Amino acid sequence: MKISEIGSQICSRCIYDNRISNISFDKQGVCNYCHQVDNLADEYGTGMVKGEQLLAKIIEDIRNAGKKKKYDCIIGVSGGTDSSYLLLKAKEWKLRPLAVHYDNTWNSALATMNIKKVTSALDIDLFTYVVDNKEVDDIKKSFLLAGVAEFDADTDIAFVQVLRSTAAKYGIRYILEGHSFITEGLSPVGSNYFDGAYIADIHDRFGSKKRKTFPNLTFYHFMKWILVYRQKFIRPLWYINYSKETARQELITKTGWQYYGGHHLENRASEFAHTVWLPKKFKIDLRNLNLAANVRRGVMDKKTALSLYNQTIVPQLGLIDYVKKRIDISDTQYQQIMTGPIRTWRNFYTYKKRFERLRPLFYLLAKANLVPTSFYLKYCFPEKIT
Amino acid sequence: MLSKRIIPCLLLKDHRLVKTKQFKNPNYIGDPCNTIRIFNELEVDELIILDINSYSKNHEINYSLLKDIATEAFMPMGYGGGIRTLDQARKIFEIGFEKIILNSLIFSSPSTVKKLVDEFGSQAVVGSVDYKNNFFSKKNYVYVNSGNTNTGILVLDYCKNLINLGIGEIILTSINREGTWLGFDLDTIKNIEKHINVPLIAHGGCGSEEDINTLFKLDICSLGIGSLVVYSKKDKGVLVNMPNRLNV
Amino acid sequence: MITIIDYGIGNVGSMLNMFKHIGVEAIIESNPIIIRKAKKLVLPGVGSFDAAMNNINSITGLRDVLDYKALAERIPILGVCLGMQLMTSFSEEGKVSGLGWIPSRTCRFPKHTSLKVPHMGWNVALPNKPNLLTKQLSDNSRFYFVHSYYVKVDDPVYSIMRTHYNIDFDSAIEKDNIYGVQFHPEKSHKNGMQILKNFSLI
Repeated sequence: MKISEIGSQICSRCIYDNRISNISFDKQGVCNYCHQVDNLADEYGTGMVKGEQLLAKIIEDIRNAGKKKKYDCIIGVSGGTDSSYLLLKAKEWKLRPLAVHYDNTWNSALATMNIKKVTSALDIDLFTYVVDNKEVDDIKKSFLLAGVAEFDADTDIAFVQVLRSTAAKYGIRYILEGHSFITEGLSPVGSNYFDGAYIADIHDRFGSKKRKTFPNLTFYHFMKWILVYRQKFIRPLWYINYSKETARQELITKTGWQYYGGHHLENRASEFAHTVWLPKKFKIDLRNLNLAANVRRGVMDKKTALSLYNQTIVPQLGLIDYVKKRIDISDTQYQQIMTGPIRTWRNFYTYKKRFERLRPLFYLLAKANLVPTSFYLKYCFPEKIT
Repeated sequence: MLSKRIIPCLLLKDHRLVKTKQFKNPNYIGDPCNTIRIFNELEVDELIILDINSYSKNHEINYSLLKDIATEAFMPMGYGGGIRTLDQARKIFEIGFEKIILNSLIFSSPSTVKKLVDEFGSQAVVGSVDYKNNFFSKKNYVYVNSGNTNTGILVLDYCKNLINLGIGEIILTSINREGTWLGFDLDTIKNIEKHINVPLIAHGGCGSEEDINTLFKLDICSLGIGSLVVYSKKDKGVLVNMPNRLNV
Repeated sequence: MITIIDYGIGNVGSMLNMFKHIGVEAIIESNPIIIRKAKKLVLPGVGSFDAAMNNINSITGLRDVLDYKALAERIPILGVCLGMQLMTSFSEEGKVSGLGWIPSRTCRFPKHTSLKVPHMGWNVALPNKPNLLTKQLSDNSRFYFVHSYYVKVDDPVYSIMRTHYNIDFDSAIEKDNIYGVQFHPEKSHKNGMQILKNFSLI
């Protein structure tokens, strides 16, 4: 979305501007999100000896814990750069991972072929959970009818639930995920929100099919995985020097992986969310997360990032027609949905207040790597009313 | 010259794609439209879709789903499952499929098959022949109704009769090998191919690129693949993919 | 705007679908009065030569409008598969005369024990001279063919693509504003899209 130089304050370090929710700027004009990234880098020793050592210890723990088992860790895969690279590194670290994929039935060929290439080249087994197509289409339709921003939240939640339940099934405590706060940045609090209760509430109110195969992450499940199964969520890329560009090169040469030159093109639902739903209905353009991160880590200059950000997003030809076909809505209904009322997660039942009340507990769980620190930062603090 | 054909064969059950093993125990694979969209993105040469529920009493061809599927594909596609009349066939061609695939109709009403060939041309009509090996006699018998009814006819005789009806192509499926990843039934395939003068699509058991190469080396130029394109590996997770064309 | 002629023969839906996919405006039309206003035409066709010609000749006004658009007004017109064969003078398949727009005839593939008829499957069609229809085609110029008869032009100047299937034959032809392709672009993925895209820009 266009950022005009006049009248907006843009972070002196990245490109987040004053429209970002819960943003604040220090005396040097650096935003709090940059500081958050710095703090995390400090805490995790990202790219430094401290980080290497922390990670080495974790890897040793994983290997020891999984000695008698077929797999010693679970790695969530999507076909994208981060998760594919993680599989590569896992093999280098002599881990024996089980790759786990949540198939929301909206995958593109790039995703499935990349998963195929990487798992085949590295000889890693794959477990897939495929949700019922009509059920997931009904859930997605309910989000469109509700008029909320989080069109693809069901995929994100289901992905975590599938990772955790699969880990439990195989008796594995360690779940590795390919998120990198250096290359992805941290998504601002409040701009979007989702949890299992939110998905259930929206679907109950606006859906028409019963949820039978959708793997929802309820609070009960969440606490069970953490406290009873004591699953550890590890983000190895938080500890090491990680560059997407180098990662891509390595993947291409070592596994025949393909780079598709854009974000979220591995799944059509996510693509629709990022290139149509959010920009057109909500005027939300999430490209700033990645662009800001690029500026922050010095691979892109601010001017380029801003000019890219100010370009209008052009959705792929045929994407909207495909969505109408899957969701089974007419052109008129689609128009009505696009111009209909906007609601937010605050209009629905969520676990947010509960997470906030339990902040001290989640602080400890984050320290013990039982929940990601990013979860703690995003879910356990109340929104600042500006 | 004509390219050799590697044809994904996908099984439809209600609104879902499934994969069976020896024609039993359908396992859910995913959404038909999205899966065909993936194969289209991968630019597969040709695709076959078979409705495996079609032998049941109240089965109706799901034209609306087939239309959704047809608009995802920019390559030729064949549909089979419950086709019994000229009207049904016409509707399927109008929807955008190039070929109709007949199975049980061949056994129950060969005269209708002939009418379909006369009306739509032999190149548009494919005969699907499923066979099982008898444990005692070691002979191959043709089964219809999704493998539930033994016709009592030997597969070679059945195929020869099929040619007389004017059918343009035969897809030959080994029920014993389907979904097993054990490789093609090379002996039967070679034997049938010798005796017929229409293209033969070998189907059932393909488990690797080597299996594909073996078949091509025998000068069998068309094959159908199932498990290989919907699973990452034998007994492992669902993953829609195509073998590397360069390796075959 | 491309007008796809619906004369009761051929799969017009798939053609429309591909134009839509490449972002080219197209409609399907059966009414000769509306066809008369067309800026560009596509003549599809599947099945038998005589049946197709009889359909064209029996729909009131259709034959006249087609001849007018192709030969008098000379708008770009693309014949696909049987549609291309109809543009020839006659076919060995049938008795009815063709449209005769391009000096050529439609012949039966020679009977050969080693090669099966119809010619069905993916084969290479190579451009043999620079042409607006065949611009930017990839080196792997494969298309989907399904036909039992092939076209032979009277003068090689009308041939713009050649294919080998037992014999060499003309897989695409052109005379001024009139084009024909033997293969099915609407079933030939990217190469087909390139052909239709090129046609839309003529």
